[in-house]
Amino acid sequence: MSAAPIAPADLRGARWRLRLRNARGFARRYASRRDGLVGAAILLAFAVLAIAPDLFVGPLQTVTTATGGPLEPPSAAHLLGTDESGRDMLNLTLHGARISMVIGLLATLITIVLGAVIGIVSGYVGGRWDQVLMRVTDFFLVLPTFVLAIVLAPIILDIVGTDAELLGIRATLLVIVVVIGLTSWASTARIIRSQTLSVKERMFVDRARVIGGGPAHIMRRHILPNVVNLIVANTVLTFAGAIFTETTLSFIGLGDPFAPSWGQLLNAAQEAGAPGLGAWWYIAPPAFCVVVVIVAFTLVGNALDDVLNPKAGLRR
Amino acid sequence: MTALAPPARGPDTAAVGAPLVEVTGLVKHFPIKGGILQRQVATVKAVDGVDLLVRRGETLGLVGESGCGKTTVGRLLLRLIEPTAGTIRFDGVDITHLPDRQLKPFRRRMQIVFQDPFASLDPRAPIGDSIGEGLRIHGLGNARERAARVKRIMDMVGLQQYHARRYAHEFSGGQRQRIGIARALVLEPDLVVCDEPVSALDVSIQAQVLNLLKDLQRELGLTYLFIAHNMGVVEHISDRVAVMYLGRVAEITDRERIFAEPRHPYTQALLSAVPIPDPELRRSRVILGGDVPSPVNPPEGCRFHPRCPLRAELGNPERCSRETPQLVDAGRDHLVACHFRGPDAPAS
Repeated sequence: MSAAPIAPADLRGARWRLRLRNARGFARRYASRRDGLVGAAILLAFAVLAIAPDLFVGPLQTVTTATGGPLEPPSAAHLLGTDESGRDMLNLTLHGARISMVIGLLATLITIVLGAVIGIVSGYVGGRWDQVLMRVTDFFLVLPTFVLAIVLAPIILDIVGTDAELLGIRATLLVIVVVIGLTSWASTARIIRSQTLSVKERMFVDRARVIGGGPAHIMRRHILPNVVNLIVANTVLTFAGAIFTETTLSFIGLGDPFAPSWGQLLNAAQEAGAPGLGAWWYIAPPAFCVVVVIVAFTLVGNALDDVLNPKAGLRR
Repeated sequence: MTALAPPARGPDTAAVGAPLVEVTGLVKHFPIKGGILQRQVATVKAVDGVDLLVRRGETLGLVGESGCGKTTVGRLLLRLIEPTAGTIRFDGVDITHLPDRQLKPFRRRMQIVFQDPFASLDPRAPIGDSIGEGLRIHGLGNARERAARVKRIMDMVGLQQYHARRYAHEFSGGQRQRIGIARALVLEPDLVVCDEPVSALDVSIQAQVLNLLKDLQRELGLTYLFIAHNMGVVEHISDRVAVMYLGRVAEITDRERIFAEPRHPYTQALLSAVPIPDPELRRSRVILGGDVPSPVNPPEGCRFHPRCPLRAELGNPERCSRETPQLVDAGRDHLVACHFRGPDAPAS
């Protein structure tokens, strides 16, 4: 032992320095994508609104705390008009942002965790496990979201009761989250599996096996870090899909009537006959928000996909 | 390094020269699938009955053309792929079908240095981590002891201490191969399979890495299975040489003897193709006709018979295309797989 050994803390510091350097490089490349920046700015604005809607428009208005008359057009007092119960549309739309975003976030979490775990295990372990997992994936891939929601919602609600809550989320919302999660993880699993198949053929995986690394070690230490780019880009696109599905489900009446998500607002507008009455201010705000948020997510997702995938850069 | 116990070794085979790896009748067939139903339509006979003996402390060079199955033999030895048939004994223990858990202690004792120093490093791990990974997997020592061992092994292969914090892409080809060697040696293995470790490097770097491997072998008492296609490299590093042709071993003997008096017609042709840096020297070259046959459909009998100059000279005896020649000792530990160059035939 001629020189002092490398302290473990030193290596840890090196890892953090590299992460910082990578993050800076990533930020620089991402900043060169104007579409990605626009998308990120929009999402940031919606995130702020979703986190603290009370700061901007006060607490969520109910039928009893409504501040206006029924279906008033936009005015100085109600910038976006009111609904059929006299509630302020701006208030409802901003609170709707919170519910839509939370549902999107939870559904995305289910999708990504299930998709990544099943994709990596299926791709790396292969053989019979791959066969079984992929047949299960195929099943969920073709499962129609609406039919599943219609079937699952009453069953789950009957079991847990409509007033049950989990982490402050009502059971009805939870059903939507579960349905979206169950119907969208399959395509993520497919994508992650295909990338895993390519990573596991690389030499460093053989090397890890030679030094005695088991499957769990290799999947965690070597496969996951090399497919994480894909997972990140996929997460963003899944988020957009989840919000879209939530809106659709709520619009056709499968949502939680007490949680005014954007889809639920559109559903209420439809039931109140807003289109026929010419009350465009009831329909436009939530619909506009849904479109803008999905476009923003798609912009960010595509930009991330190009920035994180080193080979995509070569094409330009 | 007292805190890190050395791996368990069989006491009877610890002596230099005792057999460390014995391979008998090793076969690896890769199925080719085709059609809508993905049925097996053919088989690539990559390794088709290989017998090898690697003795403790020696370097066995394994040479042959591209596609002759030499890399597959290396991967089979390390159980990176499962053999179709045959047995692999390591230090007296049959490891051919050991399940992963029981194989783990043996994994520590046999390591590999890959040909491609670029692809064999995980781009997302600092190389200090990469070298120490094996120690963590086998739960050897605490963090401080592991770091000390990584440091020592980096010293031995000529890497600087600050290199531990760098990533694979920050190194040159020669340095990466040093990292590859350090990662293999950190576990104190008995056997190191060197799979063309220098063929991806510049010629000026090749000699450095070869000499490093030789020095490390002397210091650590390593046994090498050195896979290569470059005869010059093999002559430089090997104690004994095995020549492979189409999935089978054609000839094995000492380095001196294989270069001085090769017996198998294929070895003779292979050696006559090695360029000699002397413009004055003229020698008879054995030029082989045709290409290496496909391992999907290797010739019957002796794999080499359709191209064999000796068979042509002897008037195409039928035995060559009927009967597969076995490796037999032609005297003084010189094993040849040829019907007409065995023990009773004169070496030409």
